[in-house]
Amino acid sequence: MSFPTDENVLIGLDRADDAGVYKISDDIALIQTVDFFTPIVDDPYWFGQIAAANALSDVYAMGGIPKTAMSLVAFPAGEMDLDILRRIMQGAADKLREAGTVLIGGHSVVDKELKYGLSVTGIIHPERILAKKNLRPGDRLVLTKPLGTGIINTAVKAGLASAELTDRVTGMMAALNRGGSRIMADFDIHACTDVTGFGLLGHLAEMVCGSGTSVRLDAGRVPVIAEALEFANMGFIPAGAYHNREFRETMIAFSETVPRPLQDVLFDPQTSGGLLISVSEAHADPLVAALKAGGIKDAAPIGAVLADPEEKIWVV
Amino acid sequence: MKEIDARGLACPRPVLQTQEVLRQGSCPSVKVIVDNGASQQNVQRFLESQGYRTTLAQSGADYLVIGTCSPAPGGLTGSSPGPGETVTPPASGAQKIMVLCATDRMGFGDDELGRKLMINYLRTLKEMGSDLWRLVFVNNGVKLTIDGSEVLDDLRGYEQAGLKILVCGTCLVHFNLLERKQVGETTNMLDIVTAMQLADKVISI
Repeated sequence: MSFPTDENVLIGLDRADDAGVYKISDDIALIQTVDFFTPIVDDPYWFGQIAAANALSDVYAMGGIPKTAMSLVAFPAGEMDLDILRRIMQGAADKLREAGTVLIGGHSVVDKELKYGLSVTGIIHPERILAKKNLRPGDRLVLTKPLGTGIINTAVKAGLASAELTDRVTGMMAALNRGGSRIMADFDIHACTDVTGFGLLGHLAEMVCGSGTSVRLDAGRVPVIAEALEFANMGFIPAGAYHNREFRETMIAFSETVPRPLQDVLFDPQTSGGLLISVSEAHADPLVAALKAGGIKDAAPIGAVLADPEEKIWVV
Repeated sequence: MKEIDARGLACPRPVLQTQEVLRQGSCPSVKVIVDNGASQQNVQRFLESQGYRTTLAQSGADYLVIGTCSPAPGGLTGSSPGPGETVTPPASGAQKIMVLCATDRMGFGDDELGRKLMINYLRTLKEMGSDLWRLVFVNNGVKLTIDGSEVLDDLRGYEQAGLKILVCGTCLVHFNLLERKQVGETTNMLDIVTAMQLADKVISI
């Protein structure tokens, strides 16, 4: 299939990055992205919050600033109380306000299955776009949110997660990547993406493919929600984690010392996960310190980019 | 053997159903039937966390997990693998041996002898077969990879057979030999340190 394009497309379909980027002038490029899904949590307000944080994240992952958004609504009108939709939209509106982003429209359809999300437009300087595929040998990798939301949401569905854990994970999913994006702008960042449905290893593999580099991942340093390891050990792993593993198996090698539950968490599909940043070696420790000082307390260095052109991920 | 039919149940119900059945009484052996690979993996993990030894099987469109109680007492708290323990099957065959050549001769005392020993050593390395995983040259060792080296053909042969040869870039630059390297990839200290971490064995010459 072929799609329309022109010379102002800085990042488009051929590069499959977190968002599309279109040059408007020498100083401004537009970032455009869209995300929607079925309910992640039971509470409509928090569903709206998470959907908004998730949609905004792609703009932050490119290094941009989200400016406007439009709602996408699929709602079983007549079968579900309209107040639920009102609360979803309130949650989203509050999150957009927190991000300094305005809501300027939207579209809804009647659907048996409830879905909500947003289309987001952001701005960025054309020379400061942080694409996915720009790993440099010697770079260090930094992750800003802990892993495990997919597994824990499975445990929530099973009724096995405590109210405290459910609330804690909801808060993590609803947290904006805005702070991380702002702080990283002061450092020498070469590539960035956000961790969502393909899990940490899936999104890392996207960065590695086509980069001419390999990666060493220090599994023990990856921030992980402790309860996720326990639930993984008991078999509360979403099917998506297994698909993620199968898809990238051939390019990933695990050291025998990495326990299976931890391997599962590294493939666990995340909802509204953190930023996965490739930063120059000299700036790695200062970046982590700045993130922590900025309230992103789970930020951690998790690996390094190797010169080996085989495009393999070694998990130790 | 207690049979649990969990087909048609959406994740995480198969694990919950298995958990419920185990709670009701002791089951020295149990067979759980599910209809997809992910549920099969999840049920396997659950049974193992409860102290069962498991085998997986397939029967037509059905996925089976057969669990037998290990002699050690379990309970619903079960025994989970501790940090460092692994439940994956033992690695198949090949180990990863890294050989680091930090100079262009072997041993001290007589340099001419040392030079000959090194040539012989590098030629004999092929006896390691597929266990030889990385060959790394640093400091004077990089001189073995340039034009005129007596082992150049041997090293090229290794490389063609799939061995990764890494040659220290800083060292090549120091000796002004960067353009004269004929075999191997130019590497850096990060890759060398990582290779040491990943290798099962590091041999330093």
